[in-house]
Amino acid sequence: MMMQPNPAGRPAPVPGEAPLLSVDNLCVSIRVDDRSVNIVDGVSFSIRRGERVALVGESGSGKSVTARALMRLERRMKATGSIVCDGRDILKLSDGEMRRVRGGTIGMVFQDPMSFLDPLRTIGDQIAETLRIRGVSRRDAERKALHILDELKVERAAERLTAYPHEFSGGMRQRVVLAMALIGDPRLLIADEPTTALDVRVQDQVLALLDEISRSRGLSVLFITHDLGIVAGFADRVMVMYAGSVVEDGDVYSTFAAPRHPYTRGLLDAVPRIDRDSDRLASIRGTPPHVFARPQGCPFHPRCDRAFERCVIERPVLRELGGMRVACHRPEPEAAR
Amino acid sequence: MSLAPAIRMRTPRVKISFQGACVSLLIALLVFAALFGPMLAPEAIYRSDILSSLQPPSAAHWLGTDDQGRDVLWRVIVGTRTTLLSAIAIVTAYSLIGVAVATIAASGPRWLDEALMRVTDVGLSLPSMIVALGFAAALGPSLQSAIIAQSITGWPITARILRNVMHQTMEAPFVAGAHVIGVSRWRLMTRHVLPNSLDVLIVKWTSDIGGTVLILSSLSFIGVGAQPPSTEWGAMIAGARGYVSTAWWTVLAPGIALAITSVAFGLLGDMIQAWRDPSLRESR
Amino acid sequence: MKLFTLDSVCKSFAAKTGNPTRVLNDVSFDVATGETLGLVGESGSGKSTIAKCMLKLLRPDSGSVVFDGIDVPNARGAELSRFRREVQLVFQDPYGSLNPRMTAGELIAEGLLVHGLEPNGAARRRQAQHLMGLVGLDPDNIDRYPNSFSGGQRQRIAIARALACRPRLLVCDEPVAALDVSVQAQVINLLQDMRAEFDLTVVFIAHDLAVVRHLCQRIIVLHRGEIVEQGSREEIFGNPRMPYTQSLLAAVPIPDPVLAQRRRTAVQEA
Repeated sequence: MMMQPNPAGRPAPVPGEAPLLSVDNLCVSIRVDDRSVNIVDGVSFSIRRGERVALVGESGSGKSVTARALMRLERRMKATGSIVCDGRDILKLSDGEMRRVRGGTIGMVFQDPMSFLDPLRTIGDQIAETLRIRGVSRRDAERKALHILDELKVERAAERLTAYPHEFSGGMRQRVVLAMALIGDPRLLIADEPTTALDVRVQDQVLALLDEISRSRGLSVLFITHDLGIVAGFADRVMVMYAGSVVEDGDVYSTFAAPRHPYTRGLLDAVPRIDRDSDRLASIRGTPPHVFARPQGCPFHPRCDRAFERCVIERPVLRELGGMRVACHRPEPEAAR
Repeated sequence: MSLAPAIRMRTPRVKISFQGACVSLLIALLVFAALFGPMLAPEAIYRSDILSSLQPPSAAHWLGTDDQGRDVLWRVIVGTRTTLLSAIAIVTAYSLIGVAVATIAASGPRWLDEALMRVTDVGLSLPSMIVALGFAAALGPSLQSAIIAQSITGWPITARILRNVMHQTMEAPFVAGAHVIGVSRWRLMTRHVLPNSLDVLIVKWTSDIGGTVLILSSLSFIGVGAQPPSTEWGAMIAGARGYVSTAWWTVLAPGIALAITSVAFGLLGDMIQAWRDPSLRESR
Repeated sequence: MKLFTLDSVCKSFAAKTGNPTRVLNDVSFDVATGETLGLVGESGSGKSTIAKCMLKLLRPDSGSVVFDGIDVPNARGAELSRFRREVQLVFQDPYGSLNPRMTAGELIAEGLLVHGLEPNGAARRRQAQHLMGLVGLDPDNIDRYPNSFSGGQRQRIAIARALACRPRLLVCDEPVAALDVSVQAQVINLLQDMRAEFDLTVVFIAHDLAVVRHLCQRIIVLHRGEIVEQGSREEIFGNPRMPYTQSLLAAVPIPDPVLAQRRRTAVQEA
């Protein structure tokens, strides 16, 4: 079989519709001791309008850096490749234009809402700010803020606008941050582990809310998480990252039913399940590689049971395989139908 | 299972800045002078030679001579040992007292902690210079009494800082872990808490040497420390103060030596701090 | 046989303003010899406070804590020493839970040293190496410091350290919460192996119900400092009686899109 060039395996676009976001060969590097290390190493993917994509990976996989690069938040790192969102190349925008994209075309929420909120200002003030800096009048901005909090099912929203962040519970704070991200009517929401710090029941509420809002608004979501349960419950598509690259990309149903990459398979087998008893977990041996010490060839080969000589020498390219994209020389067998 | 190989690669490469090089050179010079100065110095600097007194700087005497006709440069170099050794002795002595007080306060019952900290507060509120002056006067004016006076007045700040750091360290999970495994109070403090709290003291120890050199010389200058024939810098300035207008070099030379020493150790302290604390290193 | 008994334990903490907050309210339960008991609850449920009371790191305001005949809060001398030998702890944070200035070997053998179980240094070192092998660490790394080990490896050191004195009861406070998924499974498996190898009674504290279902035979559900429900694994996961337990279980995400979809439709219909 002939080797395909890099972006060959992107999902087939719906005819007549350009994807909202398309990322091509994104590399994010950091300088360490006069050499440059790729934290994100050639990532290509696209997100359609209204699609919810989960980006899954362990520590050091580069999932958060990828997300932050989409917003150009990593000032100390250098990003190359192209990130086209709503027709504009993010990496080519001026800082002023980029400021309008943040909170405008793309909204973002983070894991720790408390560090994101200013403890000395009321939350109404902070939610309205996104609009105020775009020249919306105070009254309109506050009316909109109230509206958003209602949409996020915050009770007694009008009173809450005058409250300060410390008066809110973790789940409420995450809603406030979500309101700040949504008030500019973004097309894409990037959510970086937004529920990791929350208790399960609150997490469930926030996820249900996100689900509802993304459906009603036709909002595309890029959801970064390490929790495969959240992926299964929330996303339409899942991308698995390992050591700086996407190793598998497919719709959730096929991927969870029959993952093609040994790493994805290993991850799914390694999680204990709430819905059934188990004797022993299958585990992946070893640990995820550190950013500065990624193996040659396929980065997963030292931990892989299916690895053979080629995996040690040649890094597999993400290629199309039965409707999914997989970066593996020896993928897991297709699901028996 | 293999070790995480990343750690080896993350070891920061030591980059020597211009300032770092200057400070290191100065400290090296001072240490060299303190170690070998008295051995290398000509014997003449201990004798008076009235005929060649108060000569301005010349090829024979680079920094001139004092009222007794002794070479000022050599006396300053020889004085490095007295001054620096005294300062190091003082700082080490009160640091040890501070460590002891802090350890007892941090490990003992709450009332003892409170009591020791109130004593420390009293110590902190007294102007240390005045107290040292009183102590030195009571013990009789000499270098030894200046050293003793400063050793017993300098500890409160060290004790307070270290005690607070130790309280923080004691909140660390590994201290609870040591408790659970059943270590004794003594071992808990000496193996687990103290080693993880001393970083701050290394910096303070270094910076304090600079300040102590100044106070020690001040005490000598006002007459309660080392007495004039001594090569201690403060005593030298005190002995020469009558000649400021006629023979400026006799006062200026030990004065500059003092300034250089205190600044060099202060900067060394900053450098050690930056080196131990990665967050400061990042912000450079 | 009951190994550990907590009877009407209450604990309050002084609050910055106003009345002290009740963290534990009349908590009573037993731990039977040989069982693995799971304590689950959300943040603020008091599960970590229970662990601290069990380990004599906190003194309960009232109630009794008894381990094998030892009155834990008042234990002293020889009794305390036996308690410290027989009850050990593995806790969450693999970065803060090991003294960074001690080597792996020193950390693992510390219990042997402080309890005088092995006064000979060379023999202690051999035992530490043996334990390292047992928990899946390379014994050649005995002189390394914690910062040269990964999170999962540190948790293995913590387990070896806890096992060195051959304890009877192991308290695990969120031991895998901070680990990556692939490493988490390794540590869970190791805990299972060690439980069998050392014949341990385990109290496993976690917020992750899936992990608890996997490891524990009996489960206690806590909410705001009180026991809501306790029962066997089958009872709690198969047929939870209390609404709180039900809501907790229903909120745990299942890594299966088909089941997740089914559950979501069920919720919408309800």
